[in-house]
Parts: sequence; structure tokens; C-alpha cells
Amino acid sequence: MAGIFDFVPAIVLLPFVSFLVALAVGNRMPKGGAFAGIVATAGSFLLSLATFFTVSQGQTYNQTIYTWAQGLDGAVTLEFGLLIDPLSALMLVIVTLIALLVHIFSLGYMNDEGETGLPRYYAGLGLFTASMLGFVVADNLLMAFMFFELVGLCSYLLIGFWFREPGPPSAAKKAFLVTRFGDYFFLVGVVAVFATFGTAAFAGSESFPHLAEQALAGETSVNTFGFAAETWFTIVGLLVLGGVVGKSAQFPLHTWLPDAMEGPTPVSALIHAATMVAAGVYLVARMYGFYALSPTALAIIALIGGFTALFAATMGVVKREIKQVLAYSTISQYGYMMLGLGGGGYVAATFHLMTHAFFKALLFLGAGSVIIAMHHNENMWDMGGLKEKMPVTYYTFLSGSLALAGIFPFAGFWSKDEVLYETLIHGLGGSPILLVAYAMGLLAVFFTGFYTFRMVFLTFHGKPRSQTARDPHGVRWNVKGPLAVLGVLAATTGVVNMVPVEKLLGIKGIDFLHQWLDMSLDGLTAHHYAELTPYSSAYIGGEATTVAIGAAVSLGLAIAGAGLAYVLYNVPEPTEHTDKLGGIKTLLYNNYYQDEYQVWLANSVVRPISRGADKFDQGVVDGVVNGVSSVSLFSGSRVRRIQTGVVSNYAALLTLGLTVLLLGFGLLGGWFQ
Amino acid sequence: MSEWIAIGALALVAVGIPLGMMAASAILRPSVPEQGKSATYESGEIPTGSARVQFNIQYYMVALLFVVFDIETVLIFPWTVIYRSALSQGASLATVLLPMLVFIGVLVVGLVWAWRNGAVEWVKSPLAKRRKTERQDA
Amino acid sequence: MAGALALQSGPLPDWTAVSPALILALTGLLLFVIDSIDSDSDNTVLLAGLSTVGSLFAFGVAGWFLVEGTGQAATGGAISLYGDALVVDGMSLFFTLIFTIVAAMVCIASLDYVAEQRHQAEFFSLVLFAATGMTLMSMSNSLATAFISLELASLPSYALVAYLKDNRGSVEAALKYFLIGALSSAVFAFGISLVYAATGSLLLSDIASSLGDADGMTGILGMGVLMLLGGFAFKTASVPFHFWAPEAYEGAPAPISAFLSSASKAAGFAIAFRVFVEAFPLGQLPAGVDWVLAFQVLAVVTMTLGNFAAATQENVKRMLAYSSIGHAGYALIGLAALTAGGPNANVLGASMAHLLVYGFMNTGAFLFIALVEYWGVGTTFEDYNGLGARAPMACVAMSVFMFSLAGLPPFGGFFSKYVLFYSAIEAGFWWLAAVGAVNSALSLFYYSRVVKAMWIEDAAPTLELGSKPVGLYTAVIFAAVGTLLLLPAFQPVIETAQTVATALF
Repeated sequence: MAGIFDFVPAIVLLPFVSFLVALAVGNRMPKGGAFAGIVATAGSFLLSLATFFTVSQGQTYNQTIYTWAQGLDGAVTLEFGLLIDPLSALMLVIVTLIALLVHIFSLGYMNDEGETGLPRYYAGLGLFTASMLGFVVADNLLMAFMFFELVGLCSYLLIGFWFREPGPPSAAKKAFLVTRFGDYFFLVGVVAVFATFGTAAFAGSESFPHLAEQALAGETSVNTFGFAAETWFTIVGLLVLGGVVGKSAQFPLHTWLPDAMEGPTPVSALIHAATMVAAGVYLVARMYGFYALSPTALAIIALIGGFTALFAATMGVVKREIKQVLAYSTISQYGYMMLGLGGGGYVAATFHLMTHAFFKALLFLGAGSVIIAMHHNENMWDMGGLKEKMPVTYYTFLSGSLALAGIFPFAGFWSKDEVLYETLIHGLGGSPILLVAYAMGLLAVFFTGFYTFRMVFLTFHGKPRSQTARDPHGVRWNVKGPLAVLGVLAATTGVVNMVPVEKLLGIKGIDFLHQWLDMSLDGLTAHHYAELTPYSSAYIGGEATTVAIGAAVSLGLAIAGAGLAYVLYNVPEPTEHTDKLGGIKTLLYNNYYQDEYQVWLANSVVRPISRGADKFDQGVVDGVVNGVSSVSLFSGSRVRRIQTGVVSNYAALLTLGLTVLLLGFGLLGGWFQ
Repeated sequence: MSEWIAIGALALVAVGIPLGMMAASAILRPSVPEQGKSATYESGEIPTGSARVQFNIQYYMVALLFVVFDIETVLIFPWTVIYRSALSQGASLATVLLPMLVFIGVLVVGLVWAWRNGAVEWVKSPLAKRRKTERQDA
Repeated sequence: MAGALALQSGPLPDWTAVSPALILALTGLLLFVIDSIDSDSDNTVLLAGLSTVGSLFAFGVAGWFLVEGTGQAATGGAISLYGDALVVDGMSLFFTLIFTIVAAMVCIASLDYVAEQRHQAEFFSLVLFAATGMTLMSMSNSLATAFISLELASLPSYALVAYLKDNRGSVEAALKYFLIGALSSAVFAFGISLVYAATGSLLLSDIASSLGDADGMTGILGMGVLMLLGGFAFKTASVPFHFWAPEAYEGAPAPISAFLSSASKAAGFAIAFRVFVEAFPLGQLPAGVDWVLAFQVLAVVTMTLGNFAAATQENVKRMLAYSSIGHAGYALIGLAALTAGGPNANVLGASMAHLLVYGFMNTGAFLFIALVEYWGVGTTFEDYNGLGARAPMACVAMSVFMFSLAGLPPFGGFFSKYVLFYSAIEAGFWWLAAVGAVNSALSLFYYSRVVKAMWIEDAAPTLELGSKPVGLYTAVIFAAVGTLLLLPAFQPVIETAQTVATALF
């Protein structure tokens, strides 16, 4: 059927073409290749929308398009393929939309600011977008891994865009290395999946989640390397999770993300909202059918998520720079998504992924707008009073902040509430670990509300605290336009899944996202996942009561946090209250010494190991290689020494050699018996 | 093992007896070092000069030419002995005579070449001449 | 064609089968005659031309015989002459091709090399006599003829190494070569006597048939066999009889080094192949006389020692000398990988084909050295710096030789080495092939040093080349073309070699 699905590769290829165009002829194009990127992402966006609507007609697409290693006699076959189902279609729309807006915004942030090296920038954006889109449509784990790595590479290139300054290259390296550390586990996981199932396909009857399900049911057998099937699947899942933890900046591999703020702000928006960080969570959602089989893996995901949510939120409380606050909020919000996935809330997590994409892109772009206005001073204590000067930025930023803090009725409220609600009912249903994770997530809501509004008040309210804040640089349509679009989305996307309203008021059929994700291929539906997860639900009182209590508690905490920020910082002359925290302040400023302990680990554990490995490599591996040559050279020089030039020595050696031969063979052949 | 042991034992004894005799005399005799004892024995003559004298190369040339004819004789002699009886027993003249003619022909070519290149001319070497005059001076 | 028919139907008597050797000997004698008539002759063109023509004529006759199947199964099998003392078969003709073509190349190349020397006629006649000896070696069917022909090949060689009378290196090398040669001949002769004692015959076929009666004489026979092996090891420059080789090759005039390291070595293999395969066939050997094992030891030690020593040389000629020892090790695989009932003809044929290719590439390499000596450039690797820019033709040829010696495609040396190692694996001696392959890899190091020096390094500013000698150039280019052509033409070569080797078993 020649339908829209035939054009799906174009969604990926268009940004890739823009990458090539910007790289090759960007110098000769107006705006350094920006328009190529805008046109390409706009095209991708339109195609994604078309795909989205086709999927909404109930069609899905799972097709191998290229086999690049044909496995013979039971060996694995390596393929590229497309998997278009509601999840990936949704993600395609999100990614292309945000990529398009980021491209437009870059006109204001990069071109208007007179940056140099723009072709390189737009080429990077194009490749970044293309890689992420390729990752989204991947139909098997290996292809996903390859694009996952490409995403990492692009983030390296873009974070280090200003490579002449000291910070960005180091931040880029850190982002690359830390995520690579996780990716090693991912790669081992990919190999383990291939070794176990002989396939890495996500969907279909021959897919590895399906095979795993059958293996657990005893309907088929796979090679589990001597482990019990469930244990082995948990191990494989956790290996893949290593990549997720690295890319999605979950504890303890989150340390690269705040440093990555060194990159251009539109890149931060792209990284945080739609591409790199989202990739990790998306991967878990993509192969949720596999994780759902392992209670242990789910519990670990939930715990990591809950802990990261709380942990990052506390650090966000004391930051001075606007992008730093947003960075920690990102870590925290992805923690929620992981919590949702681990807690059995597949739809809730996807929902939060979507809303977060919008409001976090909005916040970053808003922050970018503020940074333009402040002449690239990011310190919030130098801002204040920008509300009047830049109303569009203010109101859209406020919309994003309300969503981030989870205030009714903004998008973030609905999604975060559902994540917490799902975790709560499953925790009540006999999984105390989930309750612990839930408690951490709930506590994080308070901190989220606090740091979000601390940021808002410090930036926009009060009196200007510096000359630049009194006379900010203006921003143009290309900044305001994307902000407006995202501001509206951040305020309204909650309507796609108003489960609490449905539950409380009994209106059926407004949980659109649930229905949407149920339209997927067999085995990839939300209902199927719900059946697979090992959780059962229990309620406090009735279902409606639980919904009401949960929503009320989280909303109350969010408002409490926002209120505290209001009291402390919504004053004309706010002062730093962080000193009241005492020793904790230092701890928080230093991010719980995460960087320090990782550096310490790197220095005192990894270094000696590396040194040992280096010794081994130099000594044993190279030693053997060099040894062969040096032994040959050395013995060669020995041979030269034997060759003395004195002919009587030769005669003696010759006779000796013959004698040795005679004796040796004589003894061997038994001539003397 | 068998007979090789006997040979080995014989070799041991053969080496051991002279060594033993030398050892015994070395222990018993008085040691009186004297110059005359270490002199080279030249049948009673008093040795003069070093034994390492460079001989004139033409000694060797003549010797080599001699060897050529010597070997020739060794091969010709049995041939003459059977020559007549071979003919009388019906071997053709070509079979009997030709190989020897070829053989002698090869040698003749060699001899002519050597002759032409001056191998049989006795040339006084300048070195020997100089030595002789030196000795006369002394 | 008429001649071939005539040969088969009778008009050409049997003794004409040795005509390649006769042609070589007669040419040598003719040179003597010329020199006797005009003893101060320095008409180099005449002398070199005559000897080249003589060698090529012998080559042509041998090639014709080989193509027409003289002495092969197709025309009634090997031709035995002089009471079985000589035998002409495919193998002897095959080796005669190697000797004569190398001799021809050496003679052309010497045109320029000896132009300034005295005693030119003697030089060429000695080369031809040595070639005669080698040809007879490949035809020897009795230990007596083997010894005589070996000496016939060796004695002119000694004189040839000493040809540069006023050059101390040349004379010293010749003396060493002679002394070691004398020692080896003694060992060889002793070996012959022991074998005679054990079997009561000097004819190879008689030795083979009386092996079974040698009970109780195993020790004598074994010693004799090992000592014969020593005599051949001297001729092929195999460890531990190799000591003369680096010195002799370095000191000798470079064309003579080429001659010795290619033709003389091949002659050693020719006689070794025949003696061991014919006189001591594997199936009939008494237990305890395991010459295959001895050859395995020698092959491994020789190729390893040769290559290792070559790697540390600074002097290119000496490096080539050691590499020639290394190649002797490869060729020894031909005897080391034999088994009773194995694919012996393939192994032996592969070794013979390798020797043929080696005859071209190694001769070419030494002749290039002769060219460099002619220019008076110097002997170390550094002295070769930048030669590529000054003499591109010759340096391309030299690069071909080096890569071919290392066994890289697309040169003749690649196939011959490949087939050699492959046949060793086929015979079950994968470890021999592995040692050979490792050594080949090592050899690439020092061969590529020459190429690097010629093409990549910059020349010393004082580097001046004289004229371009026609004879040397002709020979070098001829060898290079031969090396290249032996890649596409390797199929008939290896087929011929393996066919004629089959006749031995």
C-alpha cells in the first residue's frame, strides 16, 4: 500500500539532508543554513503529522527496509527497519515540532547575536534531529543503539559548539564520556539480547519482548546462559537500563547534564525536551513489554526514578543561574518518568514525556530569551523586574513554570499527577517499594514548586538588580513565535488525558492518550502492558477518593512550594535565603559532591585499573608484539655476533652443529644400541 | 649398547695412557727451564727465521699442472689395459677411442690456455728478489 | 616438432639428452680457446655475448626437451646414461632451466661489471663450468656423480668469489668459502662412504633397494644420511652449514652473489631432492633414520635464523645474503613436509616452483646491488636513500623484487610461497607453514626498508649516479619482467613442477 508510511524514511532523511546541505554549502547560504534546517524540520513535522493521523485511523507499520548482515545457519540477521505505532508516531510529532521551533528560535538566539560557525551549528542540529528521529522509528534494539550513539555524538558536537572557550569542550567531553559509560552496558545488553533471543526486534511475534513473555510462560525456550529465565531477563534489562540511566541523566550518571548547559540554549532545549535525554525514557517505553516481565527491573527503575526526582529537585533549590535550575528540573522530571514506568504507569510516563517536552522546551527557550535580553548573563540575582520589559516571554515562561510545578490545570499537573497516582495505587496493591518511591516523588513536588517559582520571581518580579536588567535587549518574532506556540501547548496539552476528571466526574472517554496507546500493534498496547506488569491496584476508600486525595496532596504540595517561594522571593529586593540552610547549602551547592566522588572514583579506582590495563596492554599485549620484533632484532644481533668473521669459528660451529644433529638423531633413532 | 661400549672403552684407554704418562712424568721430573728445550727441533740444525714463509705462487702452479697430468695418467692407464681386448671383443673404434680423445682434448685445451697465460714461465717475484738482496747485505 | 619426433623415434641418440650440460661445457671450453689464442682479450661484448648465447641455447634446449616430454612418462620415462650414473628426467630439465636462465642473466649483467677487469674470459668460462656442474648435479643418479658434479659446481665458485683479486673482501670471502666448502665436502664424502658401507652401492636406486638389508647398520646408515644432508646443506646455505654464505655473498662480485644464491642454491636442492627421494624413500627406511624430521628442524631453524639475522643488517647485500638463507628454509619445506603416502609430489613441486621464481627475483635483487656497486653509491640502507628519483626504472624493478621476495601479491613470489605453504598444510604440516608465514611477515620489515630508502627518504645532496650500464639494466629489467610474468604464468609452472615431481615417487 503506497501510503504515508512510505514517506516515513523521509522524516528521518530530511533533517539529514539539511545536515549535509548546511555542512557543504552552509557558508554560502543566507543565515548559515538555518533555512535548510527549518524547511527540513518543517517538512518532517508535516510528514509526522500526516503519519500521526494515519496512525489515528488505526494503522500501524512494522517493516524491515534494509538487511545489512544476513545471518546464515542460525546466526542473527541485522536489519534496519521502521516501527510506526502510536508511541513512535506521537514521539515523531513531538520531536519534529520541537526541532522546528528550536531551529526558528536559533535564528534569534544565534544568527541575530552574530555567532560564527553557524553552518556547523545548523549541521549539528540537523544531524541531531535526524539521529533522534531514526532512534524513534527504529524497529530493533541494534538500530536503536546505533542512533542512540549518534545522538550522543551530536550532543558532544553541539555542547562543545563554542569550543574556543574553556568550559564547553570540557562539558562536551564529560557528556560524551558519562553517557558512553552507560552505553557500554547498553551495548552488552544488545549483544545479550541477540545471544538470548536471536533477534532484537521490538514488535511482532518474533520480537524479543514477545519471546521473553513466551519463555516465561514456558511456551518456548531461549538461551538464558544458565540463569533462571526471569533472573536473566532482569540482568539483560538492567544492562540496557545502563544506557538509559546515562542518556536520561538518572542518578548516578546525571552529572553530565548540568555541565551541558555550556552549550547554546536552543541546543539545551532540544537535548532536554525532545532528543537526547528523552531517548533514554523512550527506549524503556519502547521495550516496555520486556521490562514489564521483570518485577525487579521495574522496582529498580521506579526507585532510581523517585530518588532522582527528589535528589535533583533539592539541588535545583539553591542554583543561581537560570539554566542550572532548569537543568536540575530536567533531571528531576525525567526521574518522574522513570518512576512512572517503574510503577506500572506506562501511559502516565508517556504522558509526562509529552507534556514535559513542551513545557521544558518552552522554559529553555524562555530562558534563552531572557539570556538574550540579559546579554548572556545567566545569573538570576542580576535579573529581576523583566516582567514589564518582556511580557511575551514572561507569560509564556509562567505558563511553562506552572506546568513544571504541576499547578492545576496546566499540562504538567495532569501528567505528574497520573504518574504519582499510578505509583500510589500499585504501591498500595502490595508493592511497598513503590510507596517509598512514591513518597520521594511526592516530596519532590514541593521542591519543584519552590525552585520553579523562585526562578520565576527572581527573574521577572521585583526590581531590576542590574543595569542590563533595567534595559534589556529586545527579542524578535523568531523568539516570541516559538514561545507562544509552546506556551499554549504547555497550558493545554493536559486535556489529552484528564484521567482524574474522568474518574471523579464519571465522564467516559476523555482519556484520549490511553485510547491512543491502546491502538498499537499486538503486544505493544497499553492494556497488554498493564496485564504484564506484576502490580495489582488498591485504593484508599474508592477509586475516585484515591484520585481526589492524590491530586489534592500533590497539588497542595506544589502550591505550598510555590507559596514559600512567593513569600521569600516575590519581594522588591529579594535576598539570598540559602544561608539559612547552613551546612546543607554547601552540600547542595556542590551537588552532593556527586562530581567529586565520580572524579575520585575515576582518579583512585578507575585510574589504577586503567593503569593496570595499560600496563597489561603495554607489557603483555604490546610486549608480545614488540617482543616478537625485539626478540627477532635481538636474536638477529646475536646471530650477527656468532658470525664473527673468523673462519675457524665457523668451522668449529659447523662441526658442532653437525655433531649435535648426529647425536640428537642418533639418540632419537637409537643408533647406539 | 653392545660393541659400541668396547669401542668407547678402547678410545678411553687410548686417550688415557698417554695422558697418564705425561701426567706421571710431569709429577716426577724436576723442572729445569732452559732455552734450548723450547727451541724448534730442526734435525739438529739451528733454526733460522720464522716457519711462516710466503712461498712463490708458482710452486703451486707447477704442482697443479702436475696433478693434471697425474690424474690423466691414472685414467689413461686402465684404458690402455682394456683397449685391445675391447676392440677384439667387437666394440667399435668410436666407442673405445672417442671418449679418451675428448678427455685428452679437454685437458689439452686447459694446458694450452695455462701455457698461453704464462703458468709455466718461472717469473722471479720482486718480493723474493728483495729478500735475497737483504740477506746478502746482512 | 621434427626434432621431437626424431628424438622419440631414435635418430637422436640417448646421450643427446645431456646436451644442455654439453652446450654449457663446450661454450666454456670455447671461451678458453679464445683466451688461448688472444690471451689479453678484453673484448667483453664478445665474451659476454658468447656465454649468454651459450646459456640461452642450453636454456632453449632444456625447455624444448621439457615441453616435448623428454625423459618423462609420456616418452618412456627417465633416460638413464653411463651405467645409470646420470639420469635425465623432468626434474633435471626443470632445474636446468633455472641454472641456465640465471647464468644468462648473470652473464649479461657482467658485461658492464667486469669490463674494467683483467681475465674476463676466465670469469665467463668459470660461470659456465659452474653451470655445467649444477646441471650435472640435477642429473646425478649416483652418489659418485653427485660428489663430482658438486665439486665441479663448487670449485669455479670459489674462484669466482675471489675474482676481484685486489679487493681484500673478495679474497677473504673466497678463502672462507673455500675452507668451509672443503670441510663440507669432507663431511659429504664421509657420508657417502658410510652410506656405501651400509648399503653396498652408490647408485641411488640400488641404495634404495638394499635399504632393507641394512639391519644392524642403522647407525652407520643414519650417520651417512645426516652427513649427506650436511653436504647439501652447505650447497643450499642451510643452517648450520650457512656460515660461508653471508661472507661470500658480501665479498663476491654482485653478479656472482646472484649466481651463487640463486642457481647454486637451486642446484643443492636439485641434488638433495633426488638423493633423498630416490635413495631413501620414506616407505622403505629402517626405523631410526628419520631424515624428514632432520629437514623439518633445518627448515625451521634456517628460515628463522636467516630472517632474524637479515632484520638487523645495515648492509643491503648482507641483508640479501641472510634473506637468501631464509629462502633456503622455505625451499627446505619441500623435503620437510614429505610423508609416506602424502601429497609428496605437490610439496616437492611447490618447492621447485618456488626455486624457479626465486631464481628470477633473487638474481634480480643481487643484480640491482651490482648496479649500485657499479655506480659506487655505497652498501648500507642509508646509501640507497633517494635512489628512486635518480634511477626510477631500476628502482621499480628492485621494489618488485623486494615485494616479491616478501611474498606480496601481485608478484610471482606471492603465488610460489602461497602454494608452498598451502601444500605443506595439505600434507598436514600446518606448523611448518605457520612458521614460514610468521617469517614471511618478519621479512616484510627488512625488505620494505629497502623500498622505503629508495622512494621515501631524501637523497644525500652528493648522490651522483654515473652512466646507465646497458647489460646490467637489461638483466635487471629482464628479471623484473620475469618476476611479474610468473604471476599469470604460474599455473603452467606449478603444473609442470608437480608433474615432474610425481615421476620421482
